[in-house]
Amino acid sequence: MEIVIPLIILGVMAAIFAVILAIAGIKLAVVQDERVEKITSLLTGANCGGCGYAGCQAFAQAIVEGNAKVTDCPSTTKENKALIAEIMGSELGEVEQTIVVCACNGGNRCLEKYEYQGYGDCASIELLAGGRKACPTGCIGAGKCSDVCPYHAVEVNSDGVAKIDQKRCVQCGTCIIACPKKLMKRLPAKAKIYIACSNHGKGKEVRSICKVGCMGCGLCAKVCEHDAIVLKDGLPVIDYDKCVNCRKCVEKCPAKCILTLD
Amino acid sequence: MNFYLVLIINAIFINNFILSQFLGICPFLGVSRKTETALGMGFAVIFVMGIASAITYAVNLLLIEFNVQYLQTIVFILVIAALVQLVEMVIKKFSPSLYSALGVYLPLITTNCAVLGVAIMNVSIFENTSLLISFLNGVASGAGFTLAILILAGIREKLERSTIPEPFKGFPITLICAGIMSMAFAAFSGMTF
Repeated sequence: MEIVIPLIILGVMAAIFAVILAIAGIKLAVVQDERVEKITSLLTGANCGGCGYAGCQAFAQAIVEGNAKVTDCPSTTKENKALIAEIMGSELGEVEQTIVVCACNGGNRCLEKYEYQGYGDCASIELLAGGRKACPTGCIGAGKCSDVCPYHAVEVNSDGVAKIDQKRCVQCGTCIIACPKKLMKRLPAKAKIYIACSNHGKGKEVRSICKVGCMGCGLCAKVCEHDAIVLKDGLPVIDYDKCVNCRKCVEKCPAKCILTLD
Repeated sequence: MNFYLVLIINAIFINNFILSQFLGICPFLGVSRKTETALGMGFAVIFVMGIASAITYAVNLLLIEFNVQYLQTIVFILVIAALVQLVEMVIKKFSPSLYSALGVYLPLITTNCAVLGVAIMNVSIFENTSLLISFLNGVASGAGFTLAILILAGIREKLERSTIPEPFKGFPITLICAGIMSMAFAAFSGMTF
C-alpha cells in the first residue's frame, strides 16, 4: 500500500499543474494571424531589411495589417509574391525588375588623399575628410557594402572597387543604404551598360585624380545613334528605353568608364 | 532582521549560485552575449526561483505530512517545469522580442540546476523553516544569478570590440573571464558577520 500515497501525490499535483497550464494557455494565447506565418514562409527569410522593416516576420506582419505592400520586398521571387498576394486576396501589380550596380570603377586607379590606418569601415573613413580617395565620389573600397549584403553578392575586387555579382544579387538595396558615398545605383533590369563613375567634376580635375573617371567629354552622347545618352551636369545619363545595346559608346569612351553587364 | 540581511548577502555574494556553487552554467554562457537579453534571462530566473521556492516550501510540508520526503527531487522538478511553462507563456505574450532573444534557454530553465538547487537548498540547509526564508533565499539567489550573468555580459560586450588572439576568440576567452570572476567572488567566502 505504501506505493499508493506517492502515486496519488504525484498524480494529483500533475493534474493540478495541467489544469493551471491549460487555463493559462487559453488566457495567455498569443493571437497571431495565421496568414503572418504563411507569408513569412513565402518570403526569402534573409531578413535583409530592404523593405524597411526589422525582418521578414515584421514585414509579413505589416503586410497583413495593410501597412506594407508585397512589392516593397525587392528580393522575393515573383511566384512567391503572387502567392502572397493570393493569400491577402489582392492582385499583384506589375513589378518593375531592377538591378543594382556600383557607379565607380576607380579603386586602385584613383589617387589616395592620405594613407588610412584603422579599423577600415567605409563610414568611419568617410568621416575622415570625406574618405581616403582623392575623388569625392570614389569607392572607398573598405567593403561596407559586402559586409552588409545578406546574400554575399558584393565584393571588393582586386582593383579595390566594389563589384556586384548579378547572379547572386536579389536587389534588396541594403548596400544602397549602407554606402556612405551613395555609389550603389538601382537601374532598370534591361540595362546592359552603365556609367561607372559618379564624379560631376570637369575633365581635367577628374583626369588628374583617376584614370578611369568620366571627364564629361560627351563623346558617348555624340556617338549614340539613338539619342539614348545625354550629358547632364558633367555626367552622361543613359535612357534605357532608347538604348539598343549597340555598345558604340562603350568602345568610344576614352576613359573606358562605360561598363557592360555581361 | 539581521538574519535576513545575512541571508540575502550570502545568497547573492558569498554563495553565488554560478560563481561559487557552479550551478546554472549553461544559460550563464549561452545568454550572456548581450546585456539586455542577460537582464531578461536574469529576471526570468529570479521569478522562477522565487515562486519555485515558495511553492516547493508548501509542497515539502505536504511531503513531510505523508512522510514521503524521498519524492522531493521529482516533485520539485514537476513544480519547476510547470512554472517555466507559465513564464514562457507570459513572456511570449508580453515581450515577443525577449522571447525570441532568449530562444531555447527559456525552456531550458526547466532543467537549470540552479533552480532545482535553490529548492533543495531551502529544504536541506534552511530545513524548511519558514515561507519567508525560502522565498527570500530564492529571490536573492536569482539576484545573484542576474548579477553574475550581467557582469559577464558586460565583459563580453567589451570583448567583442577588443583584439583577442585568434585561438581565444569566442567561448575560450569567455570561460577564462568566468574563471577570473569566480576567483574574484571567492574573496567573499571568508566574510563573517
